[in-house]
Amino acid sequence: MKRLQLQRWSRSVLSPRARTGGRLQEHLYYSLRRQSTVSTALQAENEQLIEEKSLDPSTRLTKSSKYEYLLPSPPVGAARKSAKLAALHARLYLPSRLPLETLARSLVDASADPHPNFNNESLATLGHDLLSHYTSEHLICKYPRLPITVIFAAMYAYVGPKTLAAMAKEWGVEMAVVPGGEVDPGLLQFKRVLPGTDLDAEPVTGTGRPNEHRTSWRKSMTSRIIYDNEFGDPVKVSAGASAPATVPGSQNTQGVTAEQASATFVRAVMGAIYLHAGRPAAKRFFEQHFLSRHLNISDLFNFSQPARDLSRLCAREGFEPPVAKIISETGRKSRHPVFVVGIFSGQDKLGEGAGASLLEARSRAAVASLKGWYLYSPLNVRVPSSMEEEGAAPWKPVYVDLGEVIV
Amino acid sequence: MATFSTPSKRSFLTLPFLFPPSCESVTLQARRHQCSYRRAKQRLRVRPDASFGASSTHSHEQIIHNPPSSAPPVHHTPTKFLPPDDIRRTLRGASVDHGNSAQLPSVFKTSAEKRYHLNPSDIEEIRKLRLSDPMSWSRWKLAKRFDCSPMFIAMVCEAAPQKKEIQKQVLEAVQSRWGAKRRMAREDRLLRKESWGRDE
Repeated sequence: MKRLQLQRWSRSVLSPRARTGGRLQEHLYYSLRRQSTVSTALQAENEQLIEEKSLDPSTRLTKSSKYEYLLPSPPVGAARKSAKLAALHARLYLPSRLPLETLARSLVDASADPHPNFNNESLATLGHDLLSHYTSEHLICKYPRLPITVIFAAMYAYVGPKTLAAMAKEWGVEMAVVPGGEVDPGLLQFKRVLPGTDLDAEPVTGTGRPNEHRTSWRKSMTSRIIYDNEFGDPVKVSAGASAPATVPGSQNTQGVTAEQASATFVRAVMGAIYLHAGRPAAKRFFEQHFLSRHLNISDLFNFSQPARDLSRLCAREGFEPPVAKIISETGRKSRHPVFVVGIFSGQDKLGEGAGASLLEARSRAAVASLKGWYLYSPLNVRVPSSMEEEGAAPWKPVYVDLGEVIV
Repeated sequence: MATFSTPSKRSFLTLPFLFPPSCESVTLQARRHQCSYRRAKQRLRVRPDASFGASSTHSHEQIIHNPPSSAPPVHHTPTKFLPPDDIRRTLRGASVDHGNSAQLPSVFKTSAEKRYHLNPSDIEEIRKLRLSDPMSWSRWKLAKRFDCSPMFIAMVCEAAPQKKEIQKQVLEAVQSRWGAKRRMAREDRLLRKESWGRDE
């Protein structure tokens, strides 16, 4: 005979205290949370309560498992027991000198654990600088004539937060629903922003840019090089590190988005590799994971007046003024004519474009010629950081261009 | 027919496309039913293009490079744009054929030669005329009188505010008579024009 589950049926009637299965449920709930990914609002609330009671970091090393619930992030000892962490280490083919404990630390965001000794903020700062350095030197040495807007866009495409978040997803990094001491250390731990929060509500202030409050004023490209970050976006100046930010719980109370947390994690991994395995390993990791991503730089251009720009360029470089000539055409009087127009400077052809009208073909030919100028790439490019290798050949200066055409 | 010298395994009669047109029409009329598989296949067997090379003269292995006609890739920097110390300049030097670029027709009828024939006093007069009587002295008329382009008139002076206001009203009156189709076609044309600069 099938057992009747009276307890379950009558649950809605019983008061919470009268429940007999409370302890069991609690246990189940915690084991569920330890493996992560499912959550309800109720669980989140419970965790908030636990976190508020979190203890001093000195109690971190206690082995007793009940203290794990009081910690903001997993204890150091838990890293060796996590299968996810070991799998991630092996999957990324990380150097064996990089210990699992550091990898676990790089998965803890500053919003989850404000203590700087246990979160990935310092590693991420180092990794961010390394990534910007390697990417910018690669771009500038490989394509010395790129306009600054294209460099900004290419930097964003290589090491921007969206790309880094996509990489973290491709690496198979899962996110903990809510950070905590008992969570598997192989999960990315951060405090989420509340749903419905408008992230772009107020513009970034405190950028150090003069006349910042004049929002209608034009921001020139040159000022964006000086005041903004490597993607050309306004960035908050870090107040000269006046607040050392060692006080736990004083900052990052509002949480971060999943994209920011993933990007910080990838940067932290880069910094950790640099610290533990050294410069060559960090460079190799960068080449294998970042530079290997395909980016078609010729798609990043957008010209508004290509013919004018081209004639200014030819005047600046001392070439003969560009002349558009019809190379071939078909169906001039038909509904779908095709014109092939080449742009010639003296005897040399600079570019060629096809279009349905003479103006379109000429405009496309001018775009092709300008791209031919800007996408010049020297042969056998070497970047400055290649001199750090053992037994590197003597440095030959790279090609430095005059700069983009300014009309 | 002059290049046809390679010994063929098949007889000439099985290659109807090699015959002159008059011959072919005779064969076509003689055969009333062309719809067998063998005949269709035979007719599709066309002679290879001349750029594939004559197989009789070059019996050794060779690379056939016969790309479809398309614009050259943008990563291929024109020789003129290479810096003077780039090795590709000398490598390409031999193979550059200047071709017939001088004989090609220009896109525009007029020559783009700049003359620089206007003095500062002329420019002063242009400004004065345009401000004094903006209705009669339009950009086109001024350009005709001073023998320059309307673009140059726009560069040196600006229309009076009341003239701008009138022009704006005229434009609005014209646009108010447009229907949905014409308006959309105009907007699409602008969008297409923007896509030229993005090379789409």
